[in-house]
Amino acid sequence: MGQRRRDVKAQIHTHQPCTYIPHTVNTPGEESVKHCICMVSDFFYPNMGGVESHIYQLSQCLIEKGHKVVIATHAYGRRKGVRYLTNGLKVYYLPLQVMYNQSTATTCFHSLPLLRCVFVRERVTIVHAHSSFSAMAHDALFHAKTMGLNTVFTDHSLFGFADVSSVLTNKLLTVSLCDTNHIICVSYTSKENTVLRAALDPEIVSVIPNAVDPTDFTPDPSRRDDSKITVVVVSRLVYRKGIDLLSGIIPELCTKHPDLCFLIGGEGPKRIVLEEVREKYQLHDRVRLLGALDHKDVRDVLVQGHIFLNTSLTEAFCMAIVEGASCGLQVVSTRVGGIPEVLPDELVTLCEPTVRSLCEGLETVIARQRAGQVPSPATIHQQVRTLYTWRNVAERTEKVYNRVCRRPTLSLSARLQRLQSHCGPVAGSLFSFFAVIDFLILLLLQWLWPSDLIDIAMDATGPHSTWKRHCDVKKKETQTHFQRSKHAFKP
Amino acid sequence: MTDEKFTDINGKAISLSCQNHSPLCREFTVSSAKVSLRKIMVYTSVVWLCAYTLFYFTENTAVLSSGIIITLVGMMVHIHFIKVDHETLLIIGSLGVQMSSSYASGRESTTFIEINKIKDIVINEAIYMHSIIYYLSILIKDPNEPESVGSVVPLFQSSKPRLNCLVKVYKSCQEILAQS
Repeated sequence: MGQRRRDVKAQIHTHQPCTYIPHTVNTPGEESVKHCICMVSDFFYPNMGGVESHIYQLSQCLIEKGHKVVIATHAYGRRKGVRYLTNGLKVYYLPLQVMYNQSTATTCFHSLPLLRCVFVRERVTIVHAHSSFSAMAHDALFHAKTMGLNTVFTDHSLFGFADVSSVLTNKLLTVSLCDTNHIICVSYTSKENTVLRAALDPEIVSVIPNAVDPTDFTPDPSRRDDSKITVVVVSRLVYRKGIDLLSGIIPELCTKHPDLCFLIGGEGPKRIVLEEVREKYQLHDRVRLLGALDHKDVRDVLVQGHIFLNTSLTEAFCMAIVEGASCGLQVVSTRVGGIPEVLPDELVTLCEPTVRSLCEGLETVIARQRAGQVPSPATIHQQVRTLYTWRNVAERTEKVYNRVCRRPTLSLSARLQRLQSHCGPVAGSLFSFFAVIDFLILLLLQWLWPSDLIDIAMDATGPHSTWKRHCDVKKKETQTHFQRSKHAFKP
Repeated sequence: MTDEKFTDINGKAISLSCQNHSPLCREFTVSSAKVSLRKIMVYTSVVWLCAYTLFYFTENTAVLSSGIIITLVGMMVHIHFIKVDHETLLIIGSLGVQMSSSYASGRESTTFIEINKIKDIVINEAIYMHSIIYYLSILIKDPNEPESVGSVVPLFQSSKPRLNCLVKVYKSCQEILAQS
């Protein structure tokens, strides 16, 4: 296998002798192959969101398993260059121009020199791109394939098929994914969606759900007010999250149940709708709008409620209901997208995305709550905490990496054939042309800045880590320091 | 005194010479290649060819004279402000660090940093043009908070040696900093 990859490499580096030595030597039967992974996405901290925390948590768990992980993203304001996060996770903030919604502008080519430099100096073997909204992720996949590296892509969202913008994005996705080695989706619904959108072979698409950190979302029944029943909603107040449904539910249930309160966290353009409802029905003391919440404050809001309500109209994998259940709340949600797969039936009440169905669902849960027929928050938490853990996600992702490494990377001619046959005559020819240009630019770069002039980076993570020793020494130092200080404070 | 061959980040040969004046005083000199005659000839010919082409169409002798002036001024600026022949780092334990660079014209510029302003000398990574490089730099203490870093002074800015050369300089600098 190692030989095969070197062959592929040799084809690409015809003009320059290649100094690249594969990081992983994959002998058959050996389980603990250590990979060198580069995560690429436009979305990473300091930007906040689901994709960002997914990349961070997954990387940390992979580092724990002994792999080397680096992250490449674009520069955020004055944050550019190279940074290290916890446990030596290295982040490259590359100075690429941001175009729209934190996504970089794409010309297919201009990011090649920098990304090539990152891939060569970190001796990357697998490029893992995240999110279909990220132009940088698609660029990185494109360049990685040109350089003969293995590629994995994780899709985090669902798309439609009907309007012009989704038709265009779906076409681009088809082009980008037709020669990617493996694709990961967060739920079976998302897999179905991606396979249809990008016309993929379902064999190369895996499902690995997201996870929550169960220690962050622990129940605390003392925080809730048991004289009334509180319904918590935490979501961005946008159309996709079904805020219009929520504005229909609130007056109907509030008139029926005088002891019912709503606690709504989040910010967005639909806030005005909720404020109107509150004004119209005079519910100022019973509907509280908390505005934008930091991730660390979400748990404090969740533990104040009895019922968690999710009214999303589309969702690939709903993290919010897992967080709600982890805090020991009764969950009521719409039956859309991947939500039915997320929690076992006894933990969630699913309704159709209509006001009537949601009201019925909520009323059954309220009745159960009144009768005291619900399990205690602690039992719900115990049940949820083992369902979705990042270690499990990392383990499954590792299996994908092992599988990807055993497959050959496509040569340029095979890639061109694949593009022509999968993407239709116009897009196929256009992107074949781009692939050839990209290959020529790569050859030019190899000639201008040969790979052996790029210094190999010191590893902070992975099998050749230089940090481990350092950290051990530091730990000892702090320990002795701690002991010393204990001695010093002895009375 | 040792003299070793290294390359800079563009693959051009540079040499590093280490001089041990005393256990607490060491001098590192990075010398890059001299201005090559060929390069000057090529640039001069290019400017003059352009000038002659313009002259052919405009038939104005001012074009030719400006061609000559551009070549002369360009060469002066290049050897006086851009082309650095040697860069020297003199580190004296308990006293400080002196950095000097001598230009091709013979001009020298020198800066000195006291030891009590220096927090540490480190190798750092930066994005430079279309690549990511390692460079050696001095961390300067923040005058208000002595524990934090106020500013960073990069070393060997014009010669830009590669990592193996930087590691060598770094190690001997750390030896001296540890002693003092």
